[in-house]
Amino acid sequence: MSDALREPVATVYVVDDEESVRRALSRLIHAAGYRVEAYGLAREFLAQVAAQRCAASPHGVPEPACVVLDVQMPDLSGLELQRELDATLPAVFLTGHGDIAMTVGALKAGAADFLTKPVRDVDLLHAISQALTRSAAAVQQQHELRELQSRLERLTPREREVMQLVVLGRLNKQVACELGTVEKTVKAHRARVMQKMEVGSLAELVRVADKVAQPDISPKPAPQ
Amino acid sequence: MPRMPRTQPHTYPDSFSLLESAPVAAVVLDACGHVLRANPHAERLFQYQPGQLSGLGIDMLVPHLWSAMQRDATGMQIDPAAPLDPLRAQRCAQTPGLTRETRAKRRDGSDFPAQVVLHPIPWQHGWATLGFVCDRTESYELKRDRQELAHLTRVSTLGELAGSLAHELNQPLTAILSNVQAAQRFIEHDPPDLAEVRDILNDIVDDSCRASEVIRRIRAFVKKEELELVRLDINGVLRDVVQLLHSDAIVRGVHLSLDVDEHLPPVRGDKVQLQQVMLNLIVNAFDAVRDVDPLDRVVTAFAGRDRDGMIRVAVRDRGHGMSADRLERIFKPFVTSKAQGLGLGLSISRSIVEMHRGRLWAEKNSDQGMTFHVTLPPWSEPETARTAE
Repeated sequence: MSDALREPVATVYVVDDEESVRRALSRLIHAAGYRVEAYGLAREFLAQVAAQRCAASPHGVPEPACVVLDVQMPDLSGLELQRELDATLPAVFLTGHGDIAMTVGALKAGAADFLTKPVRDVDLLHAISQALTRSAAAVQQQHELRELQSRLERLTPREREVMQLVVLGRLNKQVACELGTVEKTVKAHRARVMQKMEVGSLAELVRVADKVAQPDISPKPAPQ
Repeated sequence: MPRMPRTQPHTYPDSFSLLESAPVAAVVLDACGHVLRANPHAERLFQYQPGQLSGLGIDMLVPHLWSAMQRDATGMQIDPAAPLDPLRAQRCAQTPGLTRETRAKRRDGSDFPAQVVLHPIPWQHGWATLGFVCDRTESYELKRDRQELAHLTRVSTLGELAGSLAHELNQPLTAILSNVQAAQRFIEHDPPDLAEVRDILNDIVDDSCRASEVIRRIRAFVKKEELELVRLDINGVLRDVVQLLHSDAIVRGVHLSLDVDEHLPPVRGDKVQLQQVMLNLIVNAFDAVRDVDPLDRVVTAFAGRDRDGMIRVAVRDRGHGMSADRLERIFKPFVTSKAQGLGLGLSISRSIVEMHRGRLWAEKNSDQGMTFHVTLPPWSEPETARTAE
């Protein structure tokens, strides 16, 4: 399967302790046109993939991918492994005999799908494509977040203070009063905030502030 | 062969009267195998009225006994239709203490397992045969019950393992299905990827064999058969059990390892029963490490040779161990620490091992947990040896 067919080719990780199953699943997924990386040990997968995905891009945002894994692994259960994964790497679970509790637990913990072995190709590939869609959305979200964060980093400490108060709905006058400065200066800061954050309106700025809801930007509780 | 005394045949004119009140069935047979005398116990055993046994052929009571005896005595096949040769029967009757495990028939036609002991005795002017017949129903049933019980516990053990065995079967089936569906795709490629398809077909063959191997092991384990003592490789027995328990170990998060001496001499034993012992010991070890730190959930099975030549299998766990008084009791029936257990596993295991002329015992490890030891004598009759596999 040539890489030109899909650009970029999404990666599907296969984690199963049983070599023959691992090989068969890898073949099937590869035959469907994905790039496949297979691991026999959950910990090995975590060590390798976590490092890879961190180094994946300069901003630390990985490519869309998903993992197909067996619930029962000798070194680490699939559910434990899933806890180590972020939203950009959704998990499709395979199980020999999944009970309801296990299925609910996995889905609650964010599993993309829960399939029983032996699994038919249509079911598996459908689950994989849905997981990849989810992954792509999560990747997109992370991209946006990183972008907004980098814009935020361009603000001076003073500009940040102004932004914090402005998004709370304070008027320039009030901001000036709180920061012990004059309204004209606040106005200038505010204009630079809008410019650096690449937004055109206060409403947009508020939305951005919500998205980047980090401790240093989130508003302090208003004094009673 | 005793010398035939020629004097004083009348010394004990009716020595049989001594046996009238004996608690065992006794009969005296003439040279043709007909009953001359029978004691009351014999009449009760065969359900005849007093005196009715006289004159009956012993073959009516213990079918084929007389003809088989003659065959043994002469070493040649006798035509069952031919009249019995008194000389030959007499010669046979001269073989003292001939013992036979056979089936005897009551008057109503029902039969029962019996042990018959025949002995020549001086009788009136010549010789006769004194026969004792013991009803072996009880010991026969005891033996059968024990086998039945062993089979039941095997089935119940497998029942507990059903989930993990299903998983064990599911794995090759999963691989086969995915391989076939991958092959279907590779064949559609232009040009078809035949090299890949060839690899896939090889894998499918391997996985099919694996699946049928799992089934073979399960069937061998639950099949109900007469005890068969054959030449066995104890390492093979252990490996089969470890395979059976592979998935169960994973589910329970136990690391199960095997440490065997590859050059062990074979043992003489029944494969299924020894598997049952090993399985029981390893599953017990799994239970023993259930509540310990995950790093301590380690069970190791060893096989090696003792200095005295015995073959030893040991199953070691790193669980909490048990107190000395508990150690004494665990081999008794119906003693169990498990909610679902019958408490028969260890007592059956011990009786199986003892039947193999071996020993089964438990020791506390010096550091942590328990070790169960089994010793078995090595195989010793190479000329009649038959390998189980």
